[in-house]
This record gives sequence, C-alpha cells and structure tokens, in this order.
Amino acid sequence: MTSTFHSIETAKRSLFAQQTAINTVGHNISNANTAGYSRQRVSLTASRPMEAYGINRSTAAGQLGTGVEATAITRVRTSFLDDQFRNQNKYVGAWSVQSDTLSKLESIVNEPSDSGIRSVMDKFYQAWSDLSKDPENVTGRKIVRETALALTDSFNQTSKQLSDLKDDLTSSIDVKVTQANTIMSTIASLNTEIRRIEGLGDDANDLQDQRDLLTDQLSQIVNVEVSKAPEGYTITMGDKTLVQGDESFDLTREGLESSFGDGQLSSGEVFGMIQSRDVYVNDYMKQLDTLANTLANGDIEVTVPAGSVLPGTTTPLTVDTKMTVKGINGLHKLGYTMDNPATGGSDFFTFSSGTGITAATFQLNPDIASDTNKIATSMRTTSSGGASTVVQGNNSLALLMSQLGDVKFSFDQSATGNGISSSTISDFYSSMVGALGVQSEEAQRQYENSVAQADQVEGSRQSVSGVSLDEEMSDLVKYQHAYSAAARFMTTFDQLLEKLINGTGVVGR
Amino acid sequence: MSLRVTPSMMHMQLSRNLSRNLKQMDSLQDQLTTGRKINKPSDDPVGITYSLRYRTELASNGQYQKNADSAHSWLDFNDTVIGQAGDVMQRIKELTTQGSNGTNPQYALDNINNEISQLKSQLLDIANSKLNGKYVFNGQTFDKMPYDESVAGFDAKQVVTDTGDVSYAVGVGVTLPVNLSGNEVFGKPADTDNVFAVLDKIISNFASGNQSGAAAQLTNLETRMNKILNARSEVGAKVNRVELMQNRLDDLEINLTDMQSKTEDADFDKLLIDSKINENIYQASLSVGAKVITPTLVDFLH
Repeated sequence: MTSTFHSIETAKRSLFAQQTAINTVGHNISNANTAGYSRQRVSLTASRPMEAYGINRSTAAGQLGTGVEATAITRVRTSFLDDQFRNQNKYVGAWSVQSDTLSKLESIVNEPSDSGIRSVMDKFYQAWSDLSKDPENVTGRKIVRETALALTDSFNQTSKQLSDLKDDLTSSIDVKVTQANTIMSTIASLNTEIRRIEGLGDDANDLQDQRDLLTDQLSQIVNVEVSKAPEGYTITMGDKTLVQGDESFDLTREGLESSFGDGQLSSGEVFGMIQSRDVYVNDYMKQLDTLANTLANGDIEVTVPAGSVLPGTTTPLTVDTKMTVKGINGLHKLGYTMDNPATGGSDFFTFSSGTGITAATFQLNPDIASDTNKIATSMRTTSSGGASTVVQGNNSLALLMSQLGDVKFSFDQSATGNGISSSTISDFYSSMVGALGVQSEEAQRQYENSVAQADQVEGSRQSVSGVSLDEEMSDLVKYQHAYSAAARFMTTFDQLLEKLINGTGVVGR
Repeated sequence: MSLRVTPSMMHMQLSRNLSRNLKQMDSLQDQLTTGRKINKPSDDPVGITYSLRYRTELASNGQYQKNADSAHSWLDFNDTVIGQAGDVMQRIKELTTQGSNGTNPQYALDNINNEISQLKSQLLDIANSKLNGKYVFNGQTFDKMPYDESVAGFDAKQVVTDTGDVSYAVGVGVTLPVNLSGNEVFGKPADTDNVFAVLDKIISNFASGNQSGAAAQLTNLETRMNKILNARSEVGAKVNRVELMQNRLDDLEINLTDMQSKTEDADFDKLLIDSKINENIYQASLSVGAKVITPTLVDFLH
C-alpha cells in the first residue's frame, strides 16, 4: 500500500530534476565563450524504488518507482588531453620568444641593405682606394676619416642595440617571473578551496576549470609537470616543486637562470628568453667584438713593395717582402704620416674604454680623428744629413689598405665559436649573417609547428569540452518537454485526488 | 570516437586560417614592394651570403673602374706630352741639320740658336707638365717641380728625377704603375744623349760657329728621339692594358649584377600571380568565415 501522495512526490522530484538540468543548460550557454570552461552535465538517476510494504512480503507489485534525482553535476573533460596540451604549450612559449628575438636581431643586422656594416666596410676600403690616387690630398684623407668614423659608429650602434635587447630580455624575464608567481599562488589557493568543496561530496567544476586554465597559462611560461594528489595539483618544473597542496614556492630570476644552466628549465617562455639572451644575442655580440678586434689587430700577411723604407730603418727594401702584421693597426704602423721629419703611423683604431677593442669600444684613434695628417699613406722616406723626410706621393700603404677587403685575417676561434679561423672580413661577416638567417628560419618553423600542434590538441579538447549551442538547445527542448510532462502528471494526479476528495461519498445527492 | 564539432572550434580554425592567409599576403606584398625576394637573412640563409658577397664585389669593382679611369687619364696625358716632346725634338733635329750643313753665316746660326733655346725652354715646360696638380715626370715626389729653374745653380742636365712608381689599383691584386720619370724620357745626368746636355752642346757649338761639332750631336739627338718614341709606345701599351682591364671590369660588373639579381630579385610575374591567387583565397576564407558564424538552432526554435 503506497502513500496517497506518493505520485505528487514523484512529480515534484521530476520537476526539480528537470529544472536543475535546464539550469545547467543555461550555465553552459552562458559560458559558451568563457576561456577554459568545460561543459557540464547533470547525471539524472532514478531515485531509490520502494519495497512494497508488509511484514513478510507484500503481494503488491514491488519496487515502486519514486521518480528521478539529479545525483551529480560533472564537467566533461579529459585530463590526458590537458597533459598533452601543456606539453605542447611549453614549446609554443619557448619558440615564440626565440623567433621573436631572432627576427629583432635580423632587423638590427639590417642586411641586405645599403646601410649595414658590410656596406660601411666597403665604403671604408673605397675611401682608401681613392686616397691612394691622391695621397697628398686633404679631401681624400678627410673622406677616409669619415668612413672610418662611420664604420666604428655602426659597430658601436649595433653593439648598443644588442645590449639593449639583452636588457629588454632580462626585464621580460622579471615580468614573467612575477606572472608565474601570481599564477602559482592562485593555483595553491584553488587547491585548498577545491579540496574543501570536494570533501563535502560535490564537484567543484568551475573552480577546477579555473585551476586548469591557470595551469595552462603557467605551462607556457615554464615547463611544468602536473600530477593530481589528494591535496590538489602538485606542479613541478624538472625536479623543482612549484606548487604542492596549499603551498606555492616562488620563482626568482636568478633561480631560473641556474635552472636553465642545470637543465631543469628546458622550455617555456622564460627558457626562450634566457636562451635568446645568453646564446643568440650573446653569441652575436661576441662575433661582432671579434670582428672589430680582428679588423684592428688580427694577423694578416701583406706584401710590402720594393722601395719601401720600414720604420726604424733608412735603406729601402730591394725586393717585395711578405710580412705578417697585426691587422689595420699593424699595417698602419708600417707607414709614415704626412708629418716631417718622418713619423711612423700610430694605431689606426683604438678603444674608448676597458682593456681591448670590442664592438662597443671600437673607435678611430682620437689623434687621427682630430688631425687627418696622422693618417699614414706613404711607406717611403728619403734621408739626407741624418733627417729623414716622407715621400708624400708614395701611396703604397693606402694601396695595401684599400686591398684589405680581399686579405684573409686570422680569427681567434675560441672567441667566436663559429669555426672560422682564417677568412676575409666580409666572408666572416656574411657567414655570421647567414648563420643568423638559419637560426631565425629554424625558430620560425619550430614556432609554427608548435603552434599547429598545440592548436590541434586544443581542438581535441574543444571537441570534448566545448559548449555546442545546438546541443544545448536540443537539450533545452528535451528538458522543457520533460518538465511540462511532469507538470501535466502532477495536474492529472491533482484531478484524480479532486475526484476522490470532492467527488466521492455523494451517492443519491 | 566521433568528433564533436563546436562553434568555438570553427571560430578558432577560421581565425587561424585568416591570419595565415594574411601573413602570406604580407610576405608577398613585402617582396612586391621591395622587388627583392631576400628581405631578411631568414628568407634565404644561403642566398644572403651570396647576396652579401656580390654586393661587396660590386662595390670594389666600381672602385676599380674609377681607378682604371684615373689611370687612363694619366696615361693619356703622358701620351700627349711625350708626343709634344717628340715634335719639339723633330724641330730641333731639323734646325741642327740645317745649321750644320753648307755655309751658314754666323747670324743665321745665331737665329737657329735662338730658336733652339726657345725649344729647350719648351722641353723644360713639357718636363714640368702637371696633371691635377701633380708633376707627372717626378715619380712619387710629384708635389715638387722636377726641372725647377728658380733653384740656385739650376742645370737641367744635372736634374735627377724620382724613380718611384705612381701605381693605381685596377683589379684584385693588380696594381699598375702609370708614370714615366723625367730621366727615362729626357735622359739621366750621366747619359751622353741627355737631351739638355745635347742641346747645350749644340747651342755652344753654333755660338762659336763650330758646325761640325754641332753635327756630331745629331746621332745623340737621334738615339734620344728613339728613346722618347719608345717611352711613348710603352705608354701606348699601358693604355691598351688599362683598356683591357676596363673591359674586363665592365664584363664583371654585368656578371655580378646578373648573379646578384638572380639571387635577390623577386620574380615579378610569379609574384603577381601568387599575390592574385592569395587575394582570392583570402576573399574566399572571409566569405566562408561569414558563413561559419552561422545561425544556430536558436534561430529556428520558436
């Protein structure tokens, strides 16, 4: 014997359950465009049926249904895809920064162009060649001075741009560290919150979505491993723990730099920044320093023509003599300036500070900059009565200088790391530019690939968790009808009881 | 598992494709506007190294062309003045021959002497020729006048000119000396056929009426004239060499420009077609995009 009002109860449960479902549909629709949102589903289960009443066993039909219950609201999500996505996302972070830095480097190098270092270099040699035609000419000397200044300027400027780029990268690392720390502490507090709610037996769907979204963001900044523990997400970077339960362990720039060194930090934006700064930009700076220093002081072999008088001697050479000198400076010292009595040339290039020539300190000797007569062009003197005078029309040195573009310089291999030990200055420079091109091309390709792969995983995730409005609308229709039918059922039963209550016991009325 | 497709997936895909097409258009536009297919090293890392080499070689080639032109003008000038010297010598020879034969009265010899003195001055002028402010017959000391009559105790036959070469670089590792020293053309102090010594002898012989003494110098005059002719043909040979160099440099310039263009220049026809195709694809992706943002079931439920 069931209760009279049993069916009202059943109808009521149905109304509530459909309402919950409709509400969840509404929630899904509202969040159709929310980042990181996964669609939610209400699990409807038939509620516990009733045994027929009786001391032993009633003969009434048993297991009377009692309607429906919404037992849980869960999000539809696959954690395997999350892991895949985070694994890809770190590469997106790393390569996007690297390809970005390398393309900045390309614009700093500014080749092919008519204003890059290469072209200034050509103009420098051309100025010497023009001077060799009129060695006694003041205009020619001034032009050599101007092109030399342009050459040192472009080295200085490029070097300055590279240091600026390094500083930018360092401050970007700082920004990223702050961002990561904020994300990590938020994840830690979400861990606590989720644990509290799930302890009560509910699913903290929306909080979990938030936590996953933050973890996704973190995975772009550094490489992370996520494992699920009872106290929430445990996030590690290599063997460093970043988040465990309600605790997060702050990152620092220095810490990350040492993690980069020992390989714990292997990907992500910060990795890309440190790699760009300490490998690409640094390497390029080193090569530029080597280039400047070699141009000034690298060993070259020159042929001093017969008739030249070497500094410190008075007898002209009788035959062409091969000599090894130290770069432009060494060559310049073999000649004589316009001053009389004959004075040997000084260093052509010097450094403005520090202990040697780097791209940043590369400069034209200030004495030459202020007095173009200090540019040596002649290699011949005549001596009469113990005093030697310069033959100003001799252009041997200017000729040798103008031909340096085709002379092989010895490079200090340990400083460059690009494997060139002896080549012309312009070959060294083009190999440097070529290598940069290769690196940049590679980084762009890697970036595009990693984005394509991350997008592909994101697509799969969307396919599982994304909200489809069509789907939600058809669900809405379904639940609305169910709701209406439950209401109809209630009405039916209401009329039934009406009959029973008001329509019975009125026989013979 | 059958793949669910959600609107947001389609939107993602759409915006990705749109941006890819735009990027492609950007790169094509870049090539069209610069006319080059290499605009940054990563466009063609191998090509860029060639491109830089060609640019450098073109620059130095241009410089060699300038130098060769300068060398040519120096040689032309040399040719002209040595030609003039030859003409003067010819006249001197005529006068000397005329003075040496038969019965010339002393006043006729004096007239001849006058003219010969004039011609000597003219030879001195020629020996002091200047091109662009440089004395061409004084080697590397071209800032000093070789036959400077203002110097105390000047004696033209005792002048020693500088023997240094004035060299021009006209190619990779090719330097060409373009000058002749005064001593090569007019004779060293010790030479019996030093032109000024010979002239002095002729003048003094005529002055004292010694016609046979003057006639004895005719052989010296002839050997000197031959030497001047030789000098002139040497200059001519150098001019030929410079012209050969110039032709080679011009050819090289054409070759280098050609190679540079093959390496760097964009293929316009192909680019225009590609860019047109790309525009169409972009248009298509836009119109597809407009359709992707389709009405959903929402629009049909009443």
